[in-house]
Amino acid sequence: MKITNTQRVKGIGSVLTGLLLLAFISLSPSYHSQGEALFKAKCATCHAVFQNGTGPKLYGAVERWEAEGEGELIYEWVQNNAKLRGSGKSKRAAAVFAEYKGSVMTVFADLTNEQIGSIFEWVDSQDPNASAGGNTQAGLENGSSEEEEGGLPWTWIILGVMFVIIIMAVSGVRRQLKIATKESGDSTDSLTYVEEFKTWAWKYRLYVGLVTLVLVLSLIVGLFKVLYSINVMENYQPSQPIAFPHDVHAGINGIDCKYCHNSVTKSKSAGIPSVNVCMNCHKKINGEGKEFKGEIDKIYTAAGWDPTRGPAGEYTGKTSPIVWNKVHNLPDHVYFNHSQHVVVGGLDCKQCHGDMAKMKETAKVQPHGELNKIQENIDSKIEFTKPTLTMGWCIECHGQSGVDIAGSDNAYYDEIHNRLKKNDYSLLNSYNDDGKVTVKELGGWECSKCHY
Amino acid sequence: MANTKKYWKGIDELNETKSFQESKESEFSQSNSIESFLADDQLSESSTGRRDFLKFLGFSVAAATVAACEAPVIKAVPYVMKPENVTPGMPTWYASTYYDGASYASILVKTREARPIFIKGNKHFGITKGSVTPPIIASVLGVYDSERIKNPLKAGKKSSWAAVDKEISSAIRNGNKVALISSTVISPSTLSAISELGSAVKGEFEHIQYDAISYSAMRNANELNFGKPFIPSYDFSKAKTIVSINADFLSTWLMPTEFAAQYGETRNPESDGGWMSKHFQFESVMSVAGSNADYRTMTKPSEEEAVLKYILDGLRGRSGTIPSSLKKSADLAIKSLQENGKESLVVCGTNNTGLQQLANEINEHNGANGTTIDLYNELQMFQSEEAKLMNCVKGISSGKYDVVLFYNSNPVYSFPKDELKKALKSKKVKVSVSLNSHADETGALCTYNCPDHHGLESWADYQPKSNHYAIAQPTIRPLHNTADALESFLVWSGKAERGGKDSTVAYDKIKETFSNISGADFKMVMHNSCVDLPQSMIEDSVTFNSVGYAAMPKKPSGTEVIMYQKSAIGSGIHANNPWLHELPDPITKVTWDNYITMNPVEMRKAGYKTTYDQENGLSMAKVTVNGVSVTLPIYPLPGQATGTVGIALGYGRGGNGEKIGKSAYQTAEYGGYAVSKNGKPASIGANVFPMISTDNDEFYYSNSGKLSNVAGEYIIAATQIHHTVMGRHSIVRETTKEIFDSKGKEAYNPAHTLQTLDDDLNHVEKPVSEFDIWDAHPVENVGHRWGMSIDLSSCIGCSNCLVACQSENNVPVVGKDEVRRGREMHWLRIDRYFASDEEAAVGTKKNKDSFSYDQAEIAALNPKVVHMPMMCQHCNHAPCETVCPVAATTHSNEGLNQMTYNRCIGTRYCSNNCPYKVRRFNWFNYPSYKKFTEINPAQDDLGRMVLNPDVTVRSRGVMEKCSFCVQRIQATKLKSKIDKVPVEDGEFSTACADVCPTNAIVVGDWNDVNSKIRKSSENKRSYQALEEVGIRPNVWYKVKVRNEQNNLLSKLQVEKKSHHGSNNKHH
Repeated sequence: MKITNTQRVKGIGSVLTGLLLLAFISLSPSYHSQGEALFKAKCATCHAVFQNGTGPKLYGAVERWEAEGEGELIYEWVQNNAKLRGSGKSKRAAAVFAEYKGSVMTVFADLTNEQIGSIFEWVDSQDPNASAGGNTQAGLENGSSEEEEGGLPWTWIILGVMFVIIIMAVSGVRRQLKIATKESGDSTDSLTYVEEFKTWAWKYRLYVGLVTLVLVLSLIVGLFKVLYSINVMENYQPSQPIAFPHDVHAGINGIDCKYCHNSVTKSKSAGIPSVNVCMNCHKKINGEGKEFKGEIDKIYTAAGWDPTRGPAGEYTGKTSPIVWNKVHNLPDHVYFNHSQHVVVGGLDCKQCHGDMAKMKETAKVQPHGELNKIQENIDSKIEFTKPTLTMGWCIECHGQSGVDIAGSDNAYYDEIHNRLKKNDYSLLNSYNDDGKVTVKELGGWECSKCHY
Repeated sequence: MANTKKYWKGIDELNETKSFQESKESEFSQSNSIESFLADDQLSESSTGRRDFLKFLGFSVAAATVAACEAPVIKAVPYVMKPENVTPGMPTWYASTYYDGASYASILVKTREARPIFIKGNKHFGITKGSVTPPIIASVLGVYDSERIKNPLKAGKKSSWAAVDKEISSAIRNGNKVALISSTVISPSTLSAISELGSAVKGEFEHIQYDAISYSAMRNANELNFGKPFIPSYDFSKAKTIVSINADFLSTWLMPTEFAAQYGETRNPESDGGWMSKHFQFESVMSVAGSNADYRTMTKPSEEEAVLKYILDGLRGRSGTIPSSLKKSADLAIKSLQENGKESLVVCGTNNTGLQQLANEINEHNGANGTTIDLYNELQMFQSEEAKLMNCVKGISSGKYDVVLFYNSNPVYSFPKDELKKALKSKKVKVSVSLNSHADETGALCTYNCPDHHGLESWADYQPKSNHYAIAQPTIRPLHNTADALESFLVWSGKAERGGKDSTVAYDKIKETFSNISGADFKMVMHNSCVDLPQSMIEDSVTFNSVGYAAMPKKPSGTEVIMYQKSAIGSGIHANNPWLHELPDPITKVTWDNYITMNPVEMRKAGYKTTYDQENGLSMAKVTVNGVSVTLPIYPLPGQATGTVGIALGYGRGGNGEKIGKSAYQTAEYGGYAVSKNGKPASIGANVFPMISTDNDEFYYSNSGKLSNVAGEYIIAATQIHHTVMGRHSIVRETTKEIFDSKGKEAYNPAHTLQTLDDDLNHVEKPVSEFDIWDAHPVENVGHRWGMSIDLSSCIGCSNCLVACQSENNVPVVGKDEVRRGREMHWLRIDRYFASDEEAAVGTKKNKDSFSYDQAEIAALNPKVVHMPMMCQHCNHAPCETVCPVAATTHSNEGLNQMTYNRCIGTRYCSNNCPYKVRRFNWFNYPSYKKFTEINPAQDDLGRMVLNPDVTVRSRGVMEKCSFCVQRIQATKLKSKIDKVPVEDGEFSTACADVCPTNAIVVGDWNDVNSKIRKSSENKRSYQALEEVGIRPNVWYKVKVRNEQNNLLSKLQVEKKSHHGSNNKHH
């Protein structure tokens, strides 16, 4: 009957193990529905669920439109709001547009009615009184999502604890019953919990074995999942000394990425713009009277620019470099060259970095799911399944993207093509059997192309 | 002083408390002994069992590991104002000029983000035609030396320029007798600044030029013969016969940067003119030049006079006398000189006026003046005047000088007499100023240290020859608060103001000087780094006059001791450079050490050890000369003249703990320095400058001495401890010019064949290439196939390639103890093979029946030498690839054998399976382990700036090897793709090929049918090392051709007539 210290420790240990197991299993990020995924990908930059932001809150949006008798028009509104406004058939559309001071909503022609429906379905299924998470601007949610994925989800812990309590309670009842039978009967042998468990386990060894196997396998799978997520930088979005809005620069003002990141065509690194590049425009654009004036002043401090000096401002000569937090960081043993991809490969920046023209907050490593929605990637039939900036992600693209060696105007590839044609036609044919010569076939999967 | 200082570990110790006294008595604390812990009965009752403890431990370690996987935030700091010519991530090259007082070269400096990281020769401009030497390549490390003086110092304490300038300048201006001691100054601007300084002095001003290695005898001999003291220009490329008496013109003598390239041109047996130079070398210590000679004759310094006289007599048709051992080759030399007449060159490397006069007489007799010798283009270097310096030192000792300045000169170390040291120590000079970059032997004794910039930080102009002008431009902003010496001279003479780090004083001065010298466009000259001046600079014609000979070297008594220079350390200027210390000597293959060289035959007779390995050292010996004695290990060097021993100069630096650089001292086994008797870090080797003979005020670099035995052994670290190739002609192949010209390929470069059965079951021999067990990689003719060919005929063993590889590929420095264990990390090694008496030439068997491997292992008394660079051969059927359990080494479709560090788990199977032994294993984390703190530049905050950012710094536990500079391949391909052109032949070059002075290494795309490498590989001299193994390397070697008469070899190398080889290509 006596429970020794050792046994108690073992008991706690097994509970811990169980919890750990559950934690491992539940680590993989998963969205509850297509609606949630779409909401996060398409809407969350401007809309929150319960709060008005750049755009109105989406909770109850369908209800609001239905209340005005335009329930069906909401789909058209989402797909192409300008068109709907232009058609003049919706009063609600004009009202919303007026309310948000003429902010134009992005066109989502690719969303089907069902998809839009699923978004609203998911939004309306949220509990307005529940967690604060839903109330925050979705962008902020993105920033903290990494931590959430890495931490233990409380629901699972609670479930686990309840599971253990139930088991213990049941076994306690059984025990009480047994003791009661024993007391009434004449049996003298008193078994400890452990001995009893051993007997029980032996009796049902097939099931116990199966369950254990499943548990062990899930543990291993879980462990691997955790290990694979180490140093995966997807969604990494460090804070920055200056709240630089890419959407304003690249989106609204339409500045070419290569204007600021100008070594992208020449060098391996795209280059974080030096302050003198900022000053090309910001000598004039000083943010006077705007809420972001403080941010522009930071550039002035860095460049040593005193706008009050002289008729149009002057440099003081006192500079202090801006210390940015690097977002896209490859390990030291990886060689990556931007000019190879942008100039030779002709890639658009957004194929790897996502559409920065829509990036309101500081830069982040776009998740690969986001990249799959980039039109250029869709056009060149590139579909990522591996997290951004992992080696799998790199070689996936190298395996899918083709190099036009036959018809290019590049004499380098002409020479490669000629050598193939002349000396090993069958090899060229085997390259071409899928209709294209991939980067991989030209050696893009070889170690020394990136590691040396 | 030091003894009175008290160090204490804690307050307890300082106050000597009772408990401290008690605890001091027992080394191990008693209160917690293991016995009492184990004896505790409660222990077994403890609730935590051992297994549980381990379980918790395991869990917490795993949990901590997972938790620790968070990546740190990495900062990125862009420029505020980006300089226009800097693109982050792209190299910027500068054409510049190198001069350190001893060697000169036109160089190209590669910078990344404004940091110089690589130096190579400038093949397009300048007199050196792209040639460099190991010290020049390695000098890029010097700029990041953390022991350079960072501020002006007064009496060893940090001061400011304003303060020291005021005091020095008033001392100079009010001085009655001021001396400036410098190495030879070839900068017209600096010379002009020095004369400004001289005119600012109230009293007398002397500028004494003094080089540690003196060539004054050449100037003196020419003064006697031609009427003016000068050194002419030599052109080895026109010399069909080269006779060198003790002149190592390929690595240390005069202008090796010029001569190596010229010499290389004459060593091609297939040259257009159809001739190849015939090279005779008479020397005592085997030198780089000697190892390349067609005829090398062991000659004692005392016999040099006889050799020169005999040759001169022979040419004049008289018969002279000569020791019988020298007669045969001297006769051949006479014959060859007679045949080639004015197309010949005789050089003498001994600093003795009489001998130099003899060499002059011979050259004049042959008519070489005007063909191989250009009397009208004078070398401006090496203007050392020993007599003047010795006089000055006497004056300093007697307190006659008020101010003495030292500029780029370290006479306290290199001056044979110690009077100067004593005088400076006892403050015989009121104001002594050192402009040296380090507080070296001289600098440490000076009142003021006014550190000069490093050569890569400063503007400079040079006039190495009378008709050539060159400019050095800065490649990095000065790292420390140093000042250009040129500026200092002008400031002290009141002609300029200090300009700080961005000073333009030197630049302005150079521009001014240039406008006086040449009318060329300054910007263009800066771009090219140099310009030829019009010939009119020389006015008078010079004519030869035969005059009586000056004093010849004194007759020796006892052992002749030769003070020679090694190609890496030279006169000791770079004795703090770890790359150069770790560079195996081209001949002995010893690293990190100084030793006495002696012929092994003599050593065996005298009872010295002639074999050694990583556990067994060499015998020690003491050499006494001039009353100075040094004790050093005694190294068996085949080819050393019997009756002589050699000791290298340039060692034993910093013996008094002067701060001359972290790597200048011996290190202890587990980090830190080995300590010498005086409690200071032990310097490497011993200083033998005091052994130089100074008779007649002429520095003569050999002397009579006494060799005596010393008990004990000394372990040395050599990268090659065996001497010969033992008749394996599948590794090294050589032939003579005669055989090469008269016989077919089958004679000197036969294909390897194996016996097999043909369809009719007859035994037939077929080339190795027809036997394959593996499928070929699809590299032939498709895409690129990178290949290399190395011409053993033109490879002179200079070791430039090795240092350049180290610099380009971030190869770690591992230190003596690791090299001793065979763990050097050089990706490229140069195998040096001596011939044995069993061989007619290196790699042959004189008599197949009586051939004995035991005998073949012993190098001949005066052996022939082959230098063979060996690096990863990038085999198409690589044996290393098939054994890697994790596919960390794989083959690329461009024929490269790729090494992927991040995949490697360090089983070392690959290394085990490599027939060339070219793979290197990282036994330690060299960039952080304490053992390498002193020697590995990567462990120094400044030193690591030299690392090439395009190449991974490898960590512990991974293999590495030559990558064919894959970073350069990728860069070249990318450039071609961006420019939309096919890769042009010659566009891609590896670091080793870049710096090869003789262009022995050719690299390129083998699939380009018109490329140099393709043609070179198809040459009839081309073969592949260990071809019979069938691993299909992408590196070809070309048979070494010697221009000698070798009847034995002619008999061996015959064409097989009945050879049944099919020429059908495989597949």
